[in-house]
Amino acid sequence: MAQSEEKRWTCEEFTKSLPDLFERADGGKLSADPSFAEILRDCPQAAELVRDLEYIAETARMLLEPEGEAPSADLWSKIERELGSNPDGGSAQ
Amino acid sequence: MTQPNSTPPAGHFKRNPPIAGEADALERAKNGDPDAFSKLYALHKRRVYTLCLRMLGNVSEAEDMTQEAFLHLYRKLGSFRGESAFSTWLHRLTVNLVLMHLRKKGLQLVSLEETINPSEEDAPKRDFGSRDPRLSGSVDRVTLERAVATLPPGYRLVFVLHDVEGYEHNEIAAMLECSTGNSKSQLHKARLKLREILRENEQAAALQGESK
Repeated sequence: MAQSEEKRWTCEEFTKSLPDLFERADGGKLSADPSFAEILRDCPQAAELVRDLEYIAETARMLLEPEGEAPSADLWSKIERELGSNPDGGSAQ
Repeated sequence: MTQPNSTPPAGHFKRNPPIAGEADALERAKNGDPDAFSKLYALHKRRVYTLCLRMLGNVSEAEDMTQEAFLHLYRKLGSFRGESAFSTWLHRLTVNLVLMHLRKKGLQLVSLEETINPSEEDAPKRDFGSRDPRLSGSVDRVTLERAVATLPPGYRLVFVLHDVEGYEHNEIAAMLECSTGNSKSQLHKARLKLREILRENEQAAALQGESK
């Protein structure tokens, strides 16, 4: 990220730019980018914010595989009935 | 509209590895074997339902949309060419159906970009001024799931699509008919809001601990 290596951030500028910076960061891991080491060192609030937001994004990945949540047991029967009355798979909706 | 039409990024393959028995069930279901379609339902019902539930935030609607997704799948199964993981394709089909459902409920006439924007009161506070305690780093999936469920709908949609399902901002922008910048902004606000909720939870738990 050559552009950001040259840039001297203020805390406010850096915080405001976070949506874009996160998007451009490799793997969404802004804290691992050496070009932001200085601002993260000089601005503890921004560093904590980045750390928390990265943590939330990482934790969200474990939600992909559901645990516990399932449709009601009779949903398959409803689907079968719908397919039986409309073999083309059309729905009532 | 509901037909998944683009090849997903490589990350989707990594996050959706093939499931044992899926390929065989898929081929048989394409040839009209009802038991094989039942097998596909059994393999994917939880993830499809959970995706609907997270996007809609309503159990009854999530059940209806799960049913709709599998009926749609039955009709479209023959068009699955294996260019992406089957679950990726099925999820995209489900996302499209849910978004169409949301538009039918009244979001179709106005740009989602405007409609899903929560009010100022819902917006997370700016992080300047006094330093708040940071997250402990021990948020479990149940706590996060509950926090996600309390997000305003617009934030929740983008968070679920990006951070949970792994879609890129350009894909989300196309799906939600908003700009890429808006998708990035909504995601950032969603994460800020979650941080706020999770910190409040941690502080409440700490206070409860102290009072015992």
